[in-house]
Amino acid sequence: MIVEDGREVVIRVRELAKSFGSHQIWDGLSLDVYRGEILAIVGGSGQGKSVLMRVITGLVAPDKGVVALFGQDAKTLTPQARLDIERRWGILFQDGALFSSLTVLQNIQVPMREHLDLPQSMMDNLAFLKLTMVGLPPNAAHKFPSELSGGMRKRAGLARALALDPEIVFLDEPTAGLDPIGATDFDHLIRKLQQTLGLTVYMVTHDLDTIFTVCDRVAVLADKKIVRTGSPAELQSQPNHPWIKNYFCGERARAASPTEQRRLIANDA
Amino acid sequence: MLKRDQQLVLPTQARAPGFRVELRGTTFRLVASGAWTVAEAADLDKALERLRVPIPPTSDFTGEMDISGIAEIDTAGAWLLQRTARAWQRGGLRTRYAGATESFRILIEEVHRRGQAERPEIDKPAPLEQLVDNTTKGLTSIWQDAVGLTAFLGEVTSGFLRLFRQPWRFRTTSFFHHLDHAGLRALPIIALICFLIGAVVMQQGVVQLRPFGAEPFAVNMVAILALREVGVLLTAIMVAGRSGSAFTAEIGSMKMREEIDAMRTLGIDPMDTLVLPRVLALVVALPLLTFLGDIAALAGGGVMAYAVLGLDSSTYIDKLHEAVDFQHFMAGMIKAPFAAIIIGLVGCLEGLRVEGSAESLGSHVTAAVVKAIFLVIILDAVFAMFLSRIGV
Repeated sequence: MIVEDGREVVIRVRELAKSFGSHQIWDGLSLDVYRGEILAIVGGSGQGKSVLMRVITGLVAPDKGVVALFGQDAKTLTPQARLDIERRWGILFQDGALFSSLTVLQNIQVPMREHLDLPQSMMDNLAFLKLTMVGLPPNAAHKFPSELSGGMRKRAGLARALALDPEIVFLDEPTAGLDPIGATDFDHLIRKLQQTLGLTVYMVTHDLDTIFTVCDRVAVLADKKIVRTGSPAELQSQPNHPWIKNYFCGERARAASPTEQRRLIANDA
Repeated sequence: MLKRDQQLVLPTQARAPGFRVELRGTTFRLVASGAWTVAEAADLDKALERLRVPIPPTSDFTGEMDISGIAEIDTAGAWLLQRTARAWQRGGLRTRYAGATESFRILIEEVHRRGQAERPEIDKPAPLEQLVDNTTKGLTSIWQDAVGLTAFLGEVTSGFLRLFRQPWRFRTTSFFHHLDHAGLRALPIIALICFLIGAVVMQQGVVQLRPFGAEPFAVNMVAILALREVGVLLTAIMVAGRSGSAFTAEIGSMKMREEIDAMRTLGIDPMDTLVLPRVLALVVALPLLTFLGDIAALAGGGVMAYAVLGLDSSTYIDKLHEAVDFQHFMAGMIKAPFAAIIIGLVGCLEGLRVEGSAESLGSHVTAAVVKAIFLVIILDAVFAMFLSRIGV
């Protein structure tokens, strides 16, 4: 286990390099994820935000560098140790990635079936509990993914990610494609579940509202590495980097930022 | 998973989950300890199932879930506690929790709140009702298929006829692309299969006819069979499996990704761009493939005739001339374009019927191949009756 400043580092990435063909996306990327935080990864398109999530979760192999999961080097894990670690995280893919041939309830039970030996009635109950915890209506339980709206598919995907009560959840663009009301609800859901279940949340996002309302820390991916990490307010007040300045001090950011809103309200008054 | 202390690794003995029930004064207490997590849930569930709900002698007895010994808890553990607490409540014990930390309390409250949601029932119809239901559904779907296919044939025909008035609508590139994929690239496998079947039929024919001393007539048998039936049927079945399924998969995945809707909104008719080039390419390719299949089957027969009967090639060709004439060849050949239309129509129609999911794509590809082969064989039977009636 790695402890830094009294906080446990659950994921440590060091000196990562990756290129696709002749196009190098990172060179010497390093990042720490602490237990219990909600971390957002931001960056321009093509900077490899989603690829970084895939590298950490082992779906893509990096060219160089070290990924440590819960203090263990991902490269040296035995298949069994890898399986044990996979039980400790859940992943929400962009469109939910639900299995289309299974109902929502069966989808949520897939991780339980694969990793544990639980009686069916208990799996039904737990899956149903997860379903209501992510805010789906009870009648969604026996529907197939194709019968759900985009927002409901995301919620169902989140319920599947939470099926084994993971320590970390990875969210890939959780609010993309949702309407503002749905996106706000989803932000609150993430915050609430994080508090209820004691989760560490790693999310890839573009959504400034999400960043300002739920994230504790933001890591900025630019110039082939993580150029800065810090709280949203810090990054906004001291950008120190052209991309961060554009992102956090642009028109949209001003509208989303709580401090800016307070200033506007004060001006109105 | 929530941990009681900031303690990061638990000693092993603290992990072992367990509980005991005791009566202290007028309070029944369930004293839980260890890690109540999903990994341990199966054992805990069994033990809790065996636990009897305490029966309060008087109404001032209460229940208590003492969870101060629990080191780790997650939703599964909280759910088990919730289930027990609820059973005690129903048994007449007012039950409360003791020893929860702030984070435990949030989780347990959440689980209690969510646990109250009504679960929807799935009603299962009676077996007989289901049988009747399935049969009706099956029969109506056959009828709907027949109607759908006929309507589609009409659409494709009108689309085709429109090409004569507006020839610029014809997609030449697409047509040649499909001609290449469905025709040229299918050639080796079809030639090989027909060659082998021709050889096998010849060998079997010789073996069966030998007791009657009629083995030279095996050549007649192979020649007629190859030209009238084997060549065209095998080719059509192979093309249905190769190209019919590809048509469904290509059009179906375009349908899934809303490409077809996009085409329609851009004023592009999927009939012109997707269906007609495929069907027409198949109508051209299948007779050509059949012709080559016929030759390959005859060649296979010839090789086997040389091997088992010792016929050299010129004798074999002479015998072929005696056995068959142009009529036999045409009796097989005439079926090819019709088979092509069936395979193309079924493949494209099933592709257009695909809905959102990957499963739907899979089932439509299967349906396309099965239906195409079935209809090709029906077509063959109809032609056999028709041709024998007109004396060919």
